[in-house]
Amino acid sequence: MNPYHLAGRESTWQKHIKDIPVDNYFLTLSCILGSFYPASETMVPKVFDLLGLRWATTHTSHNGWSCCTAIGYHGDIMPIEATLLTVARLWALAQEAGMEVITPTCVTSFGTYCECQELLEQEPELRGRIARLLKDTCGRKLVIPRRLAHVSDVYYQHRERLAGHFQYRLIEAATGRPLRVVDHIGCHYAKLFPQRHAVGGSEYCDVLAGMVRTWGGENVDYPERRHCCGMGFRQCMIPPNRGATMASVHKKLKSMAPFKPDLIVTNCPGCQVFMDKEQWAVHEMTGEKYFIPVITYQELAGILLGWDPYEVVGIDFHTVPVEPLLDKIGIPYDREKSWHREP
Amino acid sequence: MRQTEHMSIEYGTQSLLDLITRRNPDDAAWRDLRRRLDAMSDAELTDLYYRLRDACQVSEQGLVYPNIQNLHATPFEREKDRREQRPLVEQDSLSEVARWYREARDKSCVWWLENHVIARHALSSCMNCGACTALCPAAEFNEFNPRAIMSLVQEKDETAIVELLKSDTIWFCHQCGSCKTKCPRQNSPFGMISSLRQLSQLKGYHVQSIRGRQQYFARHFWGGNLWNRACTLYFRNPDPERHKDFGPRFAAYFRAKEEYLRRIGAQPDMEGHLSGRKVAPETLEELRKLWTAGGAVYFWSLIEEAAARQAAQAGMTIDEYHNHVMSEG
Amino acid sequence: MSQAAAEKHTVMVVGGGVTGLGIALALDGLGIETLILEKGPSLGGKVKDYDKIFPDFVSGRDIVNELIARVERVPRISCRTGTVMAGLKETDTGYAVSTNDHQRLEVGAIVLASGFEVFDARLQEEYGYGIYPNVINGPELESYLDPHGPTGGRLLRPFDGKPARRVAIIFCVGSRSKRLGNPYCSRICCSYSTKQAIEIMERDPGAGVTCFYMDIRTYGRGFEEMYQYAQNLGVKYIRGRVSECSVLPEGDIQVRAENTLLGKPVQGVFDLVSLSVGMMPCADAACLADLLGIERGKDGFFSGVDQYRAPHDTRREGIFLAGSVTGLKPIHDCLNEALSVAGRVAAYLNNHAG
Repeated sequence: MNPYHLAGRESTWQKHIKDIPVDNYFLTLSCILGSFYPASETMVPKVFDLLGLRWATTHTSHNGWSCCTAIGYHGDIMPIEATLLTVARLWALAQEAGMEVITPTCVTSFGTYCECQELLEQEPELRGRIARLLKDTCGRKLVIPRRLAHVSDVYYQHRERLAGHFQYRLIEAATGRPLRVVDHIGCHYAKLFPQRHAVGGSEYCDVLAGMVRTWGGENVDYPERRHCCGMGFRQCMIPPNRGATMASVHKKLKSMAPFKPDLIVTNCPGCQVFMDKEQWAVHEMTGEKYFIPVITYQELAGILLGWDPYEVVGIDFHTVPVEPLLDKIGIPYDREKSWHREP
Repeated sequence: MRQTEHMSIEYGTQSLLDLITRRNPDDAAWRDLRRRLDAMSDAELTDLYYRLRDACQVSEQGLVYPNIQNLHATPFEREKDRREQRPLVEQDSLSEVARWYREARDKSCVWWLENHVIARHALSSCMNCGACTALCPAAEFNEFNPRAIMSLVQEKDETAIVELLKSDTIWFCHQCGSCKTKCPRQNSPFGMISSLRQLSQLKGYHVQSIRGRQQYFARHFWGGNLWNRACTLYFRNPDPERHKDFGPRFAAYFRAKEEYLRRIGAQPDMEGHLSGRKVAPETLEELRKLWTAGGAVYFWSLIEEAAARQAAQAGMTIDEYHNHVMSEG
Repeated sequence: MSQAAAEKHTVMVVGGGVTGLGIALALDGLGIETLILEKGPSLGGKVKDYDKIFPDFVSGRDIVNELIARVERVPRISCRTGTVMAGLKETDTGYAVSTNDHQRLEVGAIVLASGFEVFDARLQEEYGYGIYPNVINGPELESYLDPHGPTGGRLLRPFDGKPARRVAIIFCVGSRSKRLGNPYCSRICCSYSTKQAIEIMERDPGAGVTCFYMDIRTYGRGFEEMYQYAQNLGVKYIRGRVSECSVLPEGDIQVRAENTLLGKPVQGVFDLVSLSVGMMPCADAACLADLLGIERGKDGFFSGVDQYRAPHDTRREGIFLAGSVTGLKPIHDCLNEALSVAGRVAAYLNNHAG
């Protein structure tokens, strides 16, 4: 049990109310989710349709999707102008599709959209140059979005309506106990522009915690809650540097363990990969057993909606098995559909 | 997947194809490969690459491009990128943005810090309070201190900054942004580090440190994925052999990834708009133009230049050099 | 109780704290009559709750009680508690003031001595004030150290009532932060924090107090010596601004900072964390500025028209400033200002007599 004044926490995050649009979303994808947890992306259009939301994405050959290049920018191989132009193109595609707001599934994209927005707002000369280059190079118009929302913001905004479609809640079936859920927020969602772009600010960010509470679970606070997962771009993706990432994941797991979380929910693809996948290595190297299921908010919604855990939610993409969580909630599944033969 | 149609291609001997699409040649094969690649003209090389890439098969789910998986992350693809990008950065036809960076190259580090838009936004009057370093994940585990870096930059000592740019230090940052949230003067240490890293590569100082040299790998890994697939990551990149820490369940998934991607509705190496899809040529063309205009291709050529120089000094082929920097440290 | 005719006073002092009391007594010494208007239920302001004040550890409470006793004995000083200004109009002889309880007052001069507010530590969210029970603020620590306070002077953890022996004091909470909108330094927090650290160590030599600071601004006479004394008692000073506090399962608080002098991040676990909050302008500053028609500085505090030549004057004739209303200062400086503004007011009234 946390020594906590819940009322104090409520009044803190409620100071940061974000104006999240309720409709008209232009969906852009994530490099990392696409490579590691693609089902989280394929579920987003399904949820949008379920809620009857207007949305669009890129699909014609000329207006195809590109990633935002932010991994390249934070990996220091992209000058800011190249990233600005790529992002500006995506914003133009959204405009052309008639959608007011661009919603990325990737948190790095989201952070980059926010940075680009701020830079262009504050640097008129740069704005002029980017607008001109965009027009001259590919005939598109620079339109700086007024509001920016991440797909987790959209799920947050509609969490009550979504819950109305759920067949399950975040409750332990056998005892009726609300599940203890650690919410892990991507750094680039909450830390870069907390006042302007994060629901609940940076310290008590509510975008995932709010979903958890509405969906029946209990929030867990622990000392390293705000610690970065350690993904760190060049730290995780350049093989010799991976140790730093592992160390951060280990630190967080160790810190949350005494609070006995039932699961960890993420909204950032990078965090999802490393909080999930490093648990095996941590066990191998230290003998410490965590194996706390780590799932994305899209997967969380998917399983509570009663969608097939293997065919639709894609739980087999996970390193830490998700089946124990399904058992806890009482969600049935057909083990034959799994591609992992060992339990 | 039923093969109902197959576009056949004439490509050289089977052994050439095997060689150029091998990701990890053995020692002897590295040099042989380099000889073969050097012997091909630009046109020959790029032509072969695109024919292989665009060869497609019709399947139940749609058009599939079966060769992409053999081309990505190969010395062949890297060579093709080099040859293809070289004409785009001819000194007298550089894009406006690239020209700015080219001119910045000859100026002092202090000039850069006062003029680069990212650096300008990142630092004004740091009082060395240490709030940034207190919760920096890199500072916890490495010899790294964002406050000290900001302090050094603030001193505007050209010599000290050059030393910094040549060291491993600036490469430890995770770019997480935890520092920016806490700074009482609204500075951004991670933004400054981003700017310093770009400066280091602009001037070629990065090759003097182990972590800096890794940028050559980064330039082809992310840069190659972007240039050829419009996405910094390709679903085939995380090979379990190089990601043993992901465990046996990940390896099991990876063995059958196409099937599992298709099962949940993605489009691996196929046309479409979801994960893993092959990017449409028109889109890729447009993006390449944007990246040329935005100075990225010029920037990559600088990284290339520094690597070629250092490889020559060490008596390595560029492919051996690439292999070396991605596993060093 | 409303009156038809206006009540006349020579000088009205807004604020019945230590400064306001001092002004009234100083004016009385010059033969001038005063009305003190105090918005709270009693006189004495904040200092009446301070058991010990720096640098010499005398009782703030005793000083204030003494001032109040003297004020009550003096016929030329009257007080109204629970009263605030509601309206102001210029007259030939000075100002006509209406109050919240529908009184009408006619005064020759006004001195604004309405003091300050402490920074609401909930606004610096990373410290968990109002969320983690064992995170308190400076004034609360003051009350815990007060033998007449809620714990009888024992330092206990709010969460479970156990003794608090590992204490962290965090400096600059709500001050020196452009990010929070308060870029200024609150001047006396280093000193009051050091005083509190000393009190803790003197009572419990086995306790461990760690102060997390950016600079030690114990600038006044006797303050530096107090700082040295604190160090001699074993108070630890770590130069690093605290980045965040987190709560551990038993209620202990984990604090993260960088020890900038050693260049390494540090983490500490404490029973009790006290946030040395800085100052904000008094809660009704905007309202008062409006009513009185005077200006405030960019930081929200009131400023005299000229710091060197006319530090107490506002741009409005007959309206003066004194005490913490122009910025936080040690209590003896407030009492100094009480004397100096009285002289200024007396001179003003002299020049406008008849």
